This record gives sequence, structure tokens and C-alpha cells, in this order.
Amino acid sequence: MDTSVFRLDGVTKRYGDLVALDNASLEAGANEYISFLGPSGSGKTTLLRVIAGFEAPEAGRVFFNGRDITNLPAHERGIGFVFQNFALFPHLTVIQNVGFGLTHGKSGLSAAEIERRSLEMIELVGLSGMEGRGVDQISGGQRQRVALARTLTMHPKLVLLDEPLGALDANLRSRMRTELRAIRERLGVTFVHVTGSENEALAMGDRVVVLDRGRIIQTGTPGEVYDSPASPDVAHFLNRFNLFDGNLSGGRFNGVFGSVPVPRSVRSDRDVYAVRYDRMRALPVSADAAGPAIKARFVASEYLGSSMMNFFEAEDGHVIEMEHHLSLGTPQTFEARQDYLLTWNPEQAIVFGREASR
Amino acid sequence: MESRILKPALGLYVALFVLFLYGPFVVLTIISFQQGPEGGPQFPIIEWSTYWYRHIFGLTPPSRIAPLPFGEALLRSLVLAFMTMVVSTVLGVMSAQAFRRKFKGSGVVFYLIVLGMMVPGVLTGLGTSLLANNVIGIERHWYTTAFATHVAYTFPFAFLVMLAILNRFDASVEEASWSLGVDPWTTFRKVTFPLIFPGVLSAMLFAFTLSLDEFPRTLFASGRDQTLPLAIYGTFSVEIHPNIFAFGVLTTLFSFALLSVYGLLMAMSVRRARKMAMQEDIA
Repeated sequence: MDTSVFRLDGVTKRYGDLVALDNASLEAGANEYISFLGPSGSGKTTLLRVIAGFEAPEAGRVFFNGRDITNLPAHERGIGFVFQNFALFPHLTVIQNVGFGLTHGKSGLSAAEIERRSLEMIELVGLSGMEGRGVDQISGGQRQRVALARTLTMHPKLVLLDEPLGALDANLRSRMRTELRAIRERLGVTFVHVTGSENEALAMGDRVVVLDRGRIIQTGTPGEVYDSPASPDVAHFLNRFNLFDGNLSGGRFNGVFGSVPVPRSVRSDRDVYAVRYDRMRALPVSADAAGPAIKARFVASEYLGSSMMNFFEAEDGHVIEMEHHLSLGTPQTFEARQDYLLTWNPEQAIVFGREASR
Repeated sequence: MESRILKPALGLYVALFVLFLYGPFVVLTIISFQQGPEGGPQFPIIEWSTYWYRHIFGLTPPSRIAPLPFGEALLRSLVLAFMTMVVSTVLGVMSAQAFRRKFKGSGVVFYLIVLGMMVPGVLTGLGTSLLANNVIGIERHWYTTAFATHVAYTFPFAFLVMLAILNRFDASVEEASWSLGVDPWTTFRKVTFPLIFPGVLSAMLFAFTLSLDEFPRTLFASGRDQTLPLAIYGTFSVEIHPNIFAFGVLTTLFSFALLSVYGLLMAMSVRRARKMAMQEDIA
């Protein structure tokens, strides 16, 4: 790829016996927004730190702008990094923080030019009028923007963000999400964003990279990852699927819900049947379900604003979730501790198996 | 019930303790204002005067009592304490910085450094003097052999202070600086050092004050020219006049002045540290 900004080639990193990164390979183009999604301990932060040069990999190479930077120290890489705790310089003011890299790095710019560029960046992130404040005199969201502005004044081609929205409250988070996208589109920078939140990954990324136990297990657009997770683990991280164990053989899946024909399936090392929360339907226990069905007891429901989550418990203790989008009408009401019959259209299920059609 | 007896009893105990602690200094101060040159180091005060203070600075008419031979010794001790402070603090910061990453043999090196403050001073002093005289064959001086023992003694204190400070230091601000294209040395000067400065101040104060009144090591290792503690000790064996007390009061005032400067600088950098802590709370 001509427009490749950075490339990872079989990067492996161990901490003692723990394998933090296992042979990770990835390529990113210019002006792309990539989200790394994974549970804590999946190696996503380690991957970011290896790219930034804070950690050295045991094996594999890191390329940036067509150059092998594996052995280059962090300060010579020209890759921006925004920390989860922002890591602002507490002894400096907002403008001193923003101009820090230009002042003390190798920019060679005059003090006046540095001030001009710092002020420009402060305006871009909407902090005009706060230049002279200490970083303890501004709010969390404003600190986040100082951290971002500080990185962007260096005009890096690549900015790494380590759960930068985790420290903000929900309201600020969604606003910063929009602003991050806007800033990136204006400056044409590639952003790599690490997050443990599947919503954030799906909302922000042009491309989502799913990590588990140090390995990249799927890469794709949010739509691809959401609609066709590559493995049961990905489906699990997306937190949008009910997963059932069972057995796939002869084009049929045998599980607690009976035997269901499977038109197509995804190759995997174990047999798992996945149904999205919003594809589930509940019938009275006496009803006759045409397709797969499972008897479960209603436990509780949760109001999420735009939808209602209902929790059921199957006889084997397995919790089954059912989402009802409120735009589709008034939700059913369920009685506590009553049994219901849960069913779905088998056409809409995603099936993983050793004996797969593709 | 219990506290009706216990509380006053404990209060009395503390009062006696404080009296015991400061009693000598109070007596010393009172006697330093004794009339001179006839008045001796005892009560009653014949007449209040500042004679002995003037005597120290040679502002009194000549009398049979010789001026204290402290001028040079004081200068030596101040220079020695300053040298020790600079070297020990630099070494302390550097070695504590090295201990931020685990390295091979770090446990052994740690105990080797800390041993310097554990070994009895008399042994260190005697050993150094024997080493200089009999093994290496160099002359002992306050600025060579004694200086070495002072550094060996105060360096562990500076090291431990800096280790405690750096243990709590959030390294992500340094990484942030690197990622902005600032090299590690500039990062240390512009980010790390300003943030650990309160610790550096404490390390400096420790090293300076420990060196200034160090006695056992200096006794054996300093050779011909005496430092202040040795000179003061020397005058005791002759005859005691209130001028020594006047001198004691002056050095105590000097120590207070030093502490005030330290407190002032500390208050300034603690304000900074608080900013740092607030930032960590958010995260």
C-alpha cells in the first residue's frame, strides 16, 4: 500500500511468562481512524506502547512512514500519544503544555512562532482564554483537550490514544467523540484509539481491530465486525450476542434449544451458536414456537433510554438477554419469576463450528 | 474517667520532655549574655551584656581570654558540608533514578549503598585513616579523606529520600515528553527534575546538616586541620568561657535560618506537587 502510514510485522512482547503480544501484524493507511477493541489484559495498550516506542518488542518489526523504527527511541519517532490520565505537565500552564514539544524539541522555531502555533492549536480545541491557566485550574474535559492539543501541535502523522475518553463522564465522552473525528478530518492524521468499550470502538473507528490474549483476532469495518464476527470470542466482546454451546454436524446445530438447520456457518475451533440480543422474541410458555425455542425464567429488565433490556435465566443457569428497541413500539411486560419461551428466526443466527461451510 | 488522670499525666510528661529538650539551649542562651571578661559560665548573671558576642567577632579590647579559634574551622566545615551536599545529592538522585528499573544485582547494590549509614562512624573513620596512611600512602585532609567519609555517610540518606520520591512518581509525564520529540536529558531537566524538586531539597538538607556536625568519622579522617565540631571539642579540654555559648546560640540561629529557607522552598514546590496529585486523582 502506497498510503501506508504504519505497519506491524509479527510483533511479539512478553513480560516474564506472560505473552502480552503474540505475533501481531497490522497495516494502517493515512487519514484512517482505527480502534483497538479488547478486554483488559488483551494487549491493546501494550501494542500502543510498542508503536510509540515506550516498550521494545522481543520479535517483529514496526514500520512508520516506510521506515523501520523498531529500534528508534520514542522521542525520535514523531508519533503522538495521548494518555489515559492525560499526563499533563502539572508545573506548566496550558500554553506551556501545548508548546512544550516545540519549545524543548528540535523544532528550531522562534518563541514568537511557537506561541502563534500554540495559540492556533488552543483555539482549534476550543480552549481560547485559558492559555495562562494552570492545568489544575481546568476541568477534566478541558485537560483532555490540552493533552490532545499538546500532541497535535507537533503535526504528527500518527496519534495514539490510550482510552482517552475513559476518564470523562458520559456526556463529555460523546462530545469529545464527535470533536475527535472533526479534528482528525481537518488535520488528516491517522488516529489509533484503544478502548475497552465496544460502543466507542464501533462508533469511532473506520476500522476496528479486535484483540484477545495478545492476538489480533479480527480486523474490519465496524459493520463487518458487528454483523459477522469472525469468532465466538469477537461475538463475546461485542456484548451484543447470546452465545450457546452445542454441536454442529450435518448442517444442523444441536443445542439446548433443540436441533436447528444451519444454512451457513463460520469456521472456528469450537461450536457456538450466536443470536443478537435484538433478534430474540419471547412467547408465552404454552405457545408453540415454529423454530428453535428455549424455556427461561424472567429475571429483570433495564431501561436504556432508546431500548429495553430484558434478562432471562435458562434452566441451566445461563443468562439470556433480549433487547427491545423502543422505536418499534411499546415493550412487552413480563412477570417476575415466570417462565417464557424464547425464540428467534434461525436465518438471523450466526453459527461457528469446526464443520463449517465457509 | 480514665482520661481525667491520663490526659494531664501525659501532658505533664510531654511538658517535661520539651523542657529537657530545650532546657540546655535556654541555659546556654542565658549564660551567653553574661558580663565579661570576668563573668564565667555559671549563675548568677553578674550583669547582662553582649560582651561575649562581641568577643567572638574580635570587637572587644584585648584580654587574657583568647578569641575562639573557630574562624577557619567554621569556614572549613561550611565548605565541606556544601561539597558533601552537592556530591551526595547528585549521586543520590542518579542512583535512585537507576533503581527505577530492575537491573541485575540491584538488591546487592541497594544494601551496599545503605551500608554507608549503618556502619559505625568510628570504624569508617579509623578504617579510612588506616587506608590512607598505610595502604595508599596519602596524607589525610578534611577535603580528601574526611570528605570521602562524609559522602559515604550522607549519600545513603539522599538516596533513600530520592527513592521514596521516585517510587511515587508517575512516569507517564516523561513518556508524554518523549512522544513530543523531547530527548530524555531535556525531559529530565524540564519535567522530572522540577517535579521531584521537593525531594531533592530534603536530600540536600539531610546531607548538609549531617555533614556539618559529623564527628566520629571526621575525627580520624580529617588530618591536621580541624572542622568545627572538632575545634569546639578541642576548646572544652582547656577552659570554658561563655563565648562558646554565644557561639552555640549563633550556630543554632544559623540552623533555623537554613530550615526557614528550606521550608519556604518546600512550600513553593509542594504547591506544585499538589497540582500533580490532583491530576492523578482525575485519572
